[in-house]
Amino acid sequence: MKVLVCVKQVAVLGDEVEFTDDERDVDPDYLDFALNEWDSYATEEALRLVEAAGSGEVVVVSVGDEDMEDGMRRCLAMGADRGIRVEAEGRLDPIQVARALAEVVQSESPDLVFAGVQSSDSVQAATGNALAGLLDLPSVAVVTKIDLGDGKATVNRELEGGLVDVVEVDTPAVITIQTGINEPRYATLRAIKQAEEKEIDMRQAGDLGEPGSRVRKMFVPPKGEGAEMLDGGAAEVAQRIKEIVQEKTA
Amino acid sequence: MSVLVVAEHLRGQVRPITLELISAAKELGEETAVAVIAKDPAALADQVDVEGVNEIVSVQVEQDEFENDVYRQAVEQLIAARSPDVVLVGFTVNGMGYAPALAARLGIGFASDVFALRREGGGLVAERSFYGSKVNAEVEFPGHERTLLMIRPTSWPPAEGDGAAVEAELEVSVTGSRARHSDFQEIAASGDVDITTADFLLSVGRGVGEKENLEQFEGLADKMGATLSVSRPLVDQGWMPNSRQVGQSGKTVKPKVYLALGISGAVQHLAGMKTSGTIIAVNTDPEAAIFNVAHYGAVADLFEVAEELEKLY
Amino acid sequence: MPRDPKYDILFEPIQIGPKTMKNRFYQIPHCNGFGSEKPLNQAHFRAMKAEGGYAAVCTEYCSIHPESDDTHRVSARLWDDDDIKNLGLMCDMLHEHGALAAAELWYGGPHAPCMETRCVPRAPSQIPSDFEHLTYPKEMDKDDIREVQGFYVEAAKRAREAGFDIVYVYGSHSYLPQQFLTPYYNRRTDEYGGSLENRARFWRETIEQVKEAVGDDCAIAVRMSTDMFMGEAGTQLERDCLPFVELVDEIVDVWDINVSGISEWGEDATPSRFYESGRLLPWQKAVKGVSKKPVLGVGRFTSPDLMVEAINDGALDIIATCRPSISDPFLPKKIDEGRLDDIRECIGCNICISRWEIGGPPLICTQNATAGEEYRRGWHPEKFEKAANADNDVLIVGAGPAGMECARVLGERGMRRVHLVEGQDDMGGIMRWIPQFPGLGEWARVVNYRKIQIDKLKNVEFIPNTKLDAEGVKNYGAEIVIVATGGYWATDGLNGCTHDTIPGADASQAWCATPEQIMAEGKSTGDKVLIVDNDGYFTGVSLAEKLAEEGKQVTLMTHLGHIAPYMHFTLEAPNMHRKLHKLKVEIVTYQIPTEIKEGNVTSAHVYDEEHLTEWGVDSVVLVTQRRSNEALYRELKDSVGIDALVSEGITGFYRIGDCVAPRLVADCVFDGHRLAREIDSDNPEVPLPFKRERHVIEREAVLA
Repeated sequence: MKVLVCVKQVAVLGDEVEFTDDERDVDPDYLDFALNEWDSYATEEALRLVEAAGSGEVVVVSVGDEDMEDGMRRCLAMGADRGIRVEAEGRLDPIQVARALAEVVQSESPDLVFAGVQSSDSVQAATGNALAGLLDLPSVAVVTKIDLGDGKATVNRELEGGLVDVVEVDTPAVITIQTGINEPRYATLRAIKQAEEKEIDMRQAGDLGEPGSRVRKMFVPPKGEGAEMLDGGAAEVAQRIKEIVQEKTA
Repeated sequence: MSVLVVAEHLRGQVRPITLELISAAKELGEETAVAVIAKDPAALADQVDVEGVNEIVSVQVEQDEFENDVYRQAVEQLIAARSPDVVLVGFTVNGMGYAPALAARLGIGFASDVFALRREGGGLVAERSFYGSKVNAEVEFPGHERTLLMIRPTSWPPAEGDGAAVEAELEVSVTGSRARHSDFQEIAASGDVDITTADFLLSVGRGVGEKENLEQFEGLADKMGATLSVSRPLVDQGWMPNSRQVGQSGKTVKPKVYLALGISGAVQHLAGMKTSGTIIAVNTDPEAAIFNVAHYGAVADLFEVAEELEKLY
Repeated sequence: MPRDPKYDILFEPIQIGPKTMKNRFYQIPHCNGFGSEKPLNQAHFRAMKAEGGYAAVCTEYCSIHPESDDTHRVSARLWDDDDIKNLGLMCDMLHEHGALAAAELWYGGPHAPCMETRCVPRAPSQIPSDFEHLTYPKEMDKDDIREVQGFYVEAAKRAREAGFDIVYVYGSHSYLPQQFLTPYYNRRTDEYGGSLENRARFWRETIEQVKEAVGDDCAIAVRMSTDMFMGEAGTQLERDCLPFVELVDEIVDVWDINVSGISEWGEDATPSRFYESGRLLPWQKAVKGVSKKPVLGVGRFTSPDLMVEAINDGALDIIATCRPSISDPFLPKKIDEGRLDDIRECIGCNICISRWEIGGPPLICTQNATAGEEYRRGWHPEKFEKAANADNDVLIVGAGPAGMECARVLGERGMRRVHLVEGQDDMGGIMRWIPQFPGLGEWARVVNYRKIQIDKLKNVEFIPNTKLDAEGVKNYGAEIVIVATGGYWATDGLNGCTHDTIPGADASQAWCATPEQIMAEGKSTGDKVLIVDNDGYFTGVSLAEKLAEEGKQVTLMTHLGHIAPYMHFTLEAPNMHRKLHKLKVEIVTYQIPTEIKEGNVTSAHVYDEEHLTEWGVDSVVLVTQRRSNEALYRELKDSVGIDALVSEGITGFYRIGDCVAPRLVADCVFDGHRLAREIDSDNPEVPLPFKRERHVIEREAVLA
């Protein structure tokens, strides 16, 4: 049983923000970094499947510069066996990341590929599915439960509005993992130290092609943007609130 | 620009996102075609025949419900057949199941979670958020003649009005669905209150005044189908347990709707809820900080509004 | 982040008499246990607030003469030239930070028992103190009045010489000038008693004389209680105080307005259990309505929004804080820098005040472990030195008050990694359920503040839902292990009265419970409940209040002569008594159960063991004593053994907080803080000696 987990060290913005001179991104001084929350669930799910299988390995893969390795080490401390980092500089869009990952998946031939549903910094919810598209693998997005069978898996796909779609998917497959699917384990200090010794194989990316899109300008959302004031008396306000609630929770 | 909208449906009903996609298409297009991919597309076509739709393309497939391989192949063939400049798909769980794969395979322009759109020169500019919705960005699609955009739900109003769309059919060949729908299950409501997973939070703060008044809001939340959460002062007062507290020292929540009654919006509170889908704030103080993050606001007395809401539910 | 412009008004300068405050933040006079005899502690303690942005900082009450000696309690003193030197240091250090220094000149009358000086205090009438038992004053004749007014003048001159910018003529809390103003104390029939004009005469003349003596150089402050809550006998706002303000407004530079007399001064220094912030605003606003001079006053303000509201609403010109300035000396600076979530808010527990009431010890603070430690241990509330062993990883087991504080400070000290591991799903330990007691919600700030800070510290990780056993600790991979597993209430009635268990007491039975079983685990009780309280602080009475509020018929039994005697020190006792009385809680003192059975309790009178009483009850709650939860520590030390820990690379093994010995939350926070501050000392387990301010003699010189 071999599960490959695509993970990302994401940038976390605090309460203050300044932009780079070209205004295409946030000034790195205002960013902190952490393992993407979804990816810790994906790693945990992979560890559980391999543990249940009794043998196998969990391989974590990241695309990016050396700073990515902090997030990978976190996964290695949780128990992942080894890491592969595809060296790449600068901002990549999810499709470029998927191209870089595709080469790794092809060389590793895992039984399952996991990715988080999305990254908290880019919020594209695209990398895992794009990867499946490039490799023509079966895939399911936003999964909250996995029962592994022979050559297939039964998974729950969490739809909007509290509905679950139970899906039977052929494997190998790419599955994007939703938070809450499990409770990710914490790494002990010993595991963190041992993870520092685990292997992270560095590879050069091939041609990643053109991005699907490019940021032209970043900006702080105008204060109160979209804040529509509801006028009228309490009865009218209540009526509008009811309408909005119905519309937005539908 | 010609736009292809991919309709989304579930259990025989077109989902609201579809009509929102049609509204988004109007920002761009001279020509809007809506593709209905279903076992019986004719049964759904009426629901998307609204003002602004030029053509409804029925695509018959074997599956009743969404399956990603089916949609990916069908839309790929639709694109080949219709050559749209822009393809609009919902930024929904279904959309996430095939749209990025399609964009990657075709090497076309792509962005997801788009909440604003415009044409600029001959090109397309979309807006989306980064970094936990703390900053927005304009994105462009250099070198791409065709672009697939995944649209954030509730960013556009649903399209309405009678339509006069031309009806068309497209035959597609779909080979092998490798991720097959087998069943739907409702998520059982859990007994424990977990405000972090609730879709709809009714949140109250210092404005409730007295502990005795809280009961009224618990009752209102029940009626409205909301989960009651509170800001810190009420926990400080010992009126509510910490598990109900939204904010930096409580829970970070991201419900679809956050209805804040009588919450002024201390920074610590805002940190815990400002990324909620839709924020509605009612406060007597027009300067209250909560209005800076709210999508809808009303300067009103929370008790009066609560009383009126009671009547409506 | 820059300051929010809506708080700008708090940072506008204001003129008071001949002096200018750079902003509106004022540390009201409050005690700290240092007085004039621990001048270095005094100066460093006050200067920390000036560093934190306060524009003016006061002494505690400052005695003008040996006749005003409050021993056993500690006041400042300006009796002679040596006191000028000692308090002068405080002035100098405040001035270095651009803050004004204020001296609260004080003459106590009968409330000052003069236990050290053995003087006889003087008063308007010969009535023994309602605060200090067995203290009778000498009734003042006119010569006495002139003489005591002379004491004020001489002390004011000494204050000026020491460097004080503001000089008080202090009346509040039923001290001498207010005694003259108040019929309860003043039964005179001469021109110093009777009409308001007469009752005001002493205070007015004293202010005039002090103003005449130092008014060109110092601002004259008057602190007055505007309601003593004792009807006709006490000072009243409309009848006495507003006319008095109008009478002397011209010669006063700033008004310091509060309420209460001395015997229930918890109405002024309000416990959060009974009052929210800003409780005094109506009185302060009334004075501001008639005065042309700046008005300042306290209200346990921690929220800048409330401060701004108080100013905009015309209640105050200057925001005075006492307890919030102890809890966070950097309150002004944090508002100025837009760091509101870093404010360590006062919880209103009054543990600080309890130390003054006890008499003697320096103050402590539940929230701020560095309060009172500025000089003697050299602790700065906002600055931390990188630890010499910062390359170590630390495991802290237990995220209660001690564990949280230890993790926070170790994080600040730059330890490589700190793992705070907790069996429950969130931080707080005992402080998760204590704030659920009626009125104690604000106590949750102990947890909230630390949660926010720990969240900000990159090197500290909180790990919930994880119960570590000894093997787990041994193999965790830390170089330093700190056990902070807290304590629990005895389930068998073990208590500090009999030093034994109570026969039949067993909290595993459905009808018998401990406080945490009720509060944390939701164990229910029957309708008729007997609470056995041998603890004497907030737990027993809080449970009584909670259960009575739920409609239960509650009997509260203690072996002590009073219920919750420690609450007299925290000023919570009077209103707690009122509340329990109103809830019809039956209070039984001097009784200890001799046997507990389902449905029945037998108790004996502690001074007459043969006098037994039967109590038919449905449930018994055991608030008898706490015990350390030391199982993990013992297993690690005794079973696994230190050698085995060392062989796993664990070079430091300590425990903190209740798991060493149950104690006040303030002392748990202190313990966690102390270990973290000294984690790189030669033996962190043993506190480093602190600097003691004392007179050290030269033996040879004395003998010669």
